Amino acid sequence: MRVGIGGPVGSGKSSLIAALCRELAADVRVGVVTNDIYTTEDAQLLRATGVLAPDRIVAVQTGCCPHTAIRDDITINLEAVEELEREQGPLDLVLVESGGDNLTAVFSPALADVQVFVIDVAGGDDIPRKGGPGIARADLLVINKTDLARFVGSDVERMTADASARRGTLPVLALSLTRPPHATAVADWVRAQLREYAGRGRLHSSVGGVEPHPHEHAH
Amino acid sequence: MRAVALLLADSRFPAGGYAHSLGLEQAVAGGLGADGVAPFIAARLRLVATADAALSVAALRAAGDDGALARLDDEHAARCPSPVLRDVARRLGAQLLRSAATAWPDPAIGRYRSVSAATPRPVALGVVGAAAGLDAADLATVALYDDAATVASAALKLLGLDPAQIARWLAQLAPAIEETARGVAADERPLAAQPPPAAAGLELAAARHADRTERLFVS
Repeated sequence: MRVGIGGPVGSGKSSLIAALCRELAADVRVGVVTNDIYTTEDAQLLRATGVLAPDRIVAVQTGCCPHTAIRDDITINLEAVEELEREQGPLDLVLVESGGDNLTAVFSPALADVQVFVIDVAGGDDIPRKGGPGIARADLLVINKTDLARFVGSDVERMTADASARRGTLPVLALSLTRPPHATAVADWVRAQLREYAGRGRLHSSVGGVEPHPHEHAH
Repeated sequence: MRAVALLLADSRFPAGGYAHSLGLEQAVAGGLGADGVAPFIAARLRLVATADAALSVAALRAAGDDGALARLDDEHAARCPSPVLRDVARRLGAQLLRSAATAWPDPAIGRYRSVSAATPRPVALGVVGAAAGLDAADLATVALYDDAATVASAALKLLGLDPAQIARWLAQLAPAIEETARGVAADERPLAAQPPPAAAGLELAAARHADRTERLFVS
């Protein structure tokens, strides 16, 4: 199963991945593909946590086009994911971290079975209201750094309500990766996706719109 | 020129070329400035891209013949002493074949993809060109134009140039691309009798580029 992790620069994508690896690595075979803009820093940061074997983490360059690499031309990431699965496999879960990008960047369903969009309270509490495909359609929206809300004048409840208004029934999790329970709720969500993937052999990302279904009824 | 040739030459065709500068990033790191971009592209045309286009045309003519294509894979390896550039060619070829296999459901693409471990891009382009129904002149034009346009596009990101100025350089190079393509298409000699790539400087620079931890482009 492949999970895309997207969101603006500095919102906590790498920290979330590190936390997920810590939560899941004992019983889930995890690999990570990072799409750093300029350095291999994200991959090095993850390797430094020591949660995953260094060979389970690969970095690919995207030539200044982070959104292209996850949406318009995903060949580089698909090759990287499959190479990782071939060399380290079998893997239960591959996390693909987008290079930090704008609010319009979402993963192609051909690359990510499901995707998480990560924003934070310090980026301004009007971000959920501004919307965009990541906020509105990601399978899970994480609002990170709730511990900083009182220092930056952000209203977490309003952010969550604004996001939920845009997202219908899609889930929103407000949390702080630096405070317990850290990413436990996200890890639980990932485990639920893994169970569904194992049961159905596939998932349907909300980014892909309504799942194809037989038309025995009128819309 | 056939419309399918335009599709193959279009940077929007998902083959991952946007993540490559084909040596320009390392050249810029070595001091190449805006006035060096057009000469760099012209030098690649003369010293590298023409030989690669000849390999593509040979692959177009060998399409469907496993043995002949395997020999062209070997020819590419023999003509490309840099292991870094061989790996770049393998990745670019694999990415092209991946999308082409969906775009043109011709079993020859899947066949080459499964039997070739090297998938060097020039050979892969010939195999795809055959499936798409390109003639030798169109294929050579696509190969040469793609090389030039890939460098030009990277130049925008590396040197902060006027995009229209980049287009002007490509427009000025167009007659040379067409003349070279005609020559490549008309050359009936076996590949071994045609000149190999001859840019030792690029091969040496590619190794230094791959060792850098801070870079925007794969090559």
